[in-house]
Amino acid sequence: MVTKKFVIKRLAVCVSTIFIVIVLNFMLFRVMPANPVDILLSPDVGQLSASIRMEVREEMIKSLGLDKPLWMQFVRYLGDVFKGNFGESFRTHRKVLSMISERVANTIVLMLSANILSILMAIGLGVVAAWKRGTKTDITSLIFALIFTSMPMFWVGGIIILVFAVRLDLFPMFGTTTVGLEHSNMFAYLSDYLRHLFLPMITMTLVSFGGLLLIVRSALLDVFSEDYILTARAIGLKDRTIIFKNALNNAMLPLITIIAINLGFMIGGSLLTETVFSWPGLGLTIYEAVMYRDYPVLQGTFLIITIIVVIANFLAEIVYGYADPRVRSGA
Amino acid sequence: MSMERLNLYTKRLKGFINQYKESKLGIIGLIILSIFIFISVFANYLSDYSIKATEGDLSAQFEPPSYKHWLGTDDVGRDLFTQIMYGGRISLLIGFLAAAISGGFGTLVGLFAGYFGGWREDILMRITDIVLVIPGLPLMIVLSALLGSSFWNIIFVISIIGWTGTARVVRAQVLSLKERPFIESTRVIGAGDLRIIGLHLLPNVFPLIVAQMVLRIGSAILAEASLSFLGLGDPMSVSWGMILHWAFTTGALFSNYWWFLLPPGICITLVVLGFTFVGYALDQIVNPRIRRR
Amino acid sequence: MVLLDVENLRTYFETRGGFVKAVDEVSLQIEKGDALGLVGESGCGKTTTVLSIMRLLPSNGRVLGGKILFDGVDMIAIDEEKLRQEIRWKRMSMIFQGAMNAFNPVFRVGDQIIQAIRVHEDITKESASKRVKELFSLVGIDPDRTRDYPHEFSGGMKQRAIIAMSIACNPDLVIADEPVTALDVIVQAQILELMRDLREKLGLSMILITHDLSVIADICNKATIMYAGKIVEQGDIVTIFKHPEHPYTQGLLTNYPSIKGERKKFAPITGRPPNLISPPPGCRFHPRCPYADEICRREDPETVEMKRGHYVACHMKNR
Repeated sequence: MVTKKFVIKRLAVCVSTIFIVIVLNFMLFRVMPANPVDILLSPDVGQLSASIRMEVREEMIKSLGLDKPLWMQFVRYLGDVFKGNFGESFRTHRKVLSMISERVANTIVLMLSANILSILMAIGLGVVAAWKRGTKTDITSLIFALIFTSMPMFWVGGIIILVFAVRLDLFPMFGTTTVGLEHSNMFAYLSDYLRHLFLPMITMTLVSFGGLLLIVRSALLDVFSEDYILTARAIGLKDRTIIFKNALNNAMLPLITIIAINLGFMIGGSLLTETVFSWPGLGLTIYEAVMYRDYPVLQGTFLIITIIVVIANFLAEIVYGYADPRVRSGA
Repeated sequence: MSMERLNLYTKRLKGFINQYKESKLGIIGLIILSIFIFISVFANYLSDYSIKATEGDLSAQFEPPSYKHWLGTDDVGRDLFTQIMYGGRISLLIGFLAAAISGGFGTLVGLFAGYFGGWREDILMRITDIVLVIPGLPLMIVLSALLGSSFWNIIFVISIIGWTGTARVVRAQVLSLKERPFIESTRVIGAGDLRIIGLHLLPNVFPLIVAQMVLRIGSAILAEASLSFLGLGDPMSVSWGMILHWAFTTGALFSNYWWFLLPPGICITLVVLGFTFVGYALDQIVNPRIRRR
Repeated sequence: MVLLDVENLRTYFETRGGFVKAVDEVSLQIEKGDALGLVGESGCGKTTTVLSIMRLLPSNGRVLGGKILFDGVDMIAIDEEKLRQEIRWKRMSMIFQGAMNAFNPVFRVGDQIIQAIRVHEDITKESASKRVKELFSLVGIDPDRTRDYPHEFSGGMKQRAIIAMSIACNPDLVIADEPVTALDVIVQAQILELMRDLREKLGLSMILITHDLSVIADICNKATIMYAGKIVEQGDIVTIFKHPEHPYTQGLLTNYPSIKGERKKFAPITGRPPNLISPPPGCRFHPRCPYADEICRREDPETVEMKRGHYVACHMKNR
């Protein structure tokens, strides 16, 4: 019986965090020196004569509600967020929300695939490293993991493009599908998509699996030093059984938490990777918004990805609650 | 500081240095870092070339490595090897400063939260949690975009994200120290809060903070590189991240100018690796949990 | 019938500072039905001896000499697979020090015992489950609680559950390392009574490790006193308690205040146990021994049989 109190408490934290994030988002884009509103209304905008500029300015102020007190502006903003109205892009004049919804799927695919692959690699190597602690295998994996986590992700992407796409011409360099290619059926589309997914996914995986590996190894070493593992050996369980059916179960628990925390970093990584590979996801959206000073898009996209991360963290906490029997019964 | 205290600290330091010497990774890390720091500091003695954008040799753009230019030239004809040497300065400086500031701030938060407890701790930890949950790089990007890019802005932006880890670690340590009888007895004697924090808690937390800060320098350098790559770095400066920015934006990638792309990244990797090794070695010595194993 | 025969066992630990001579030429014997109390200070080698017997030493532990025969089986030479399948738990089980954590917190208690049974016996889950319920009744736990998790058990209950698990496969020998140290006195008494009961009912042989002499007085019929990796005295329980010969044993016993006896002052054994990387020359106890003589500082004492079955390693008794 999962305690309702547990879920509700976590939910309350989640919701209040989201609210605070919305407030922050609002404040950031109003209060900062280069805030978009002032820029929008700066007297240099446009080539209209001075008097017409004043009129236009006043119209804009009224329509954006900027003559009202700050808290009222916030309420209006809050309402907008709930309605899904994130404004219009400065550059394309399209609704921000539709721009986001077009690209969000690509980011999710990239992040999910890279995450899953990282986790599998980290567990596989982590188990070996922890079990053979101190041996050459352990130290070598550790060093490799450390080297990869020290690399800037965008640089790794660049090198990979250079080697595999430019020089060896094995994979495409950018985008999700080959430009101008007509796909005859779903299968053709998928395989083209996957071909394009491969390099960015590998880039993200290489850089992030190292950190996960260290954590898996550390968690396992903690577990291995516990008494119940010694008891398991005394009982006569096979090494393999001990690792995979006992120790790993215990080590998985902190891993769930770490994966949740890692999501925030992964988003940053995905941002860099998408930029390098021109992979049309939310990361690329943010990059373009920064480049073109497209503040509505920047603000909206940032808010959306932060909310996604907060919710994902909340879900991870719930999963953890189910997984750890000590938490489950409210101990 | 009394003679006895000085002697105690000296003895501890000696013991610590001996322990550190045993860590192979730690030694390697120190060697790597020393080399890079040396090169950065003495860059102007080691090379005659200029790194100013206006003093490039436009007739020698994008040249591959040669005897004249060991790592070739960039898009405006500047010698890349020289740029790499100078590049260390900015990258390392920003790394140090950002790590120091975020480390200091994180320590303060951790100390106060852990020591005072109650609603103060609740609020501080809540703030920490929120900052933690917001994705780091996107927030840095938003802040940079809004604040404009300058040397100090970058440091500020990186520090604002980075203090949370230290805060948590310090708070945990303070909580466990609070349990120990010596804190209670100090209070009973009548020592004020500030005195307890500064004189008793801080020295015990200090090694942990140092280990944390060293690791943070590495991530700060990576953050600066990422920001510069995205175009949010100081365009006047020549950090490794900026060199890579120019590499990407001038199409070195598609034109296969590997000498432009490869070296700065290798330098970043090596330096971050160096700090990671040193931080790892320090952590092994200083972290009470690991010592148990 | 001799169940366990340990002869001149030497186990050292490899550390950065050198070899820790944790167990140095230790010999002991258990006959079927014996309950041997293994007594000594922390660090004297009792746990290491027992871990050597079960081949559960940590990775830096090495058995460098001696013989261990369990019912004729050479425990040092036997291969890992056979040891696992036929000896471990099936014939020899162990209750570890700090057994509070012997159960994995994420699995149910009953399931863990079932798993232990099914490693060695080819029976269905249902039969194993039934056996676990019976075991629970036997040790005094409500049989309906087999589906609980370890954190839902109290300290005393956990100890009973661990005992249940240790007898689950009907072993010949149960080794208990400080089984009651972490419990309060009343629960201690209950658990000891349980162990005594089980020993009678099931005909178990036992090695009971403790630093508390009063614990073994209850259950054991033999006692072995260890100090700094060596055995200083062994014999049957009555002799050891009534006529201790080794100065260390005497020191241990005098420090037990008796409710009935006369009032006397504590006479603690001064000094501390030696560094086992470089133990003192000669008799390892000599720095703390009130009777130490020239020869004690030079030579390691031989073990002398004072009376039938009563052995002492002390120069003073050689005369």
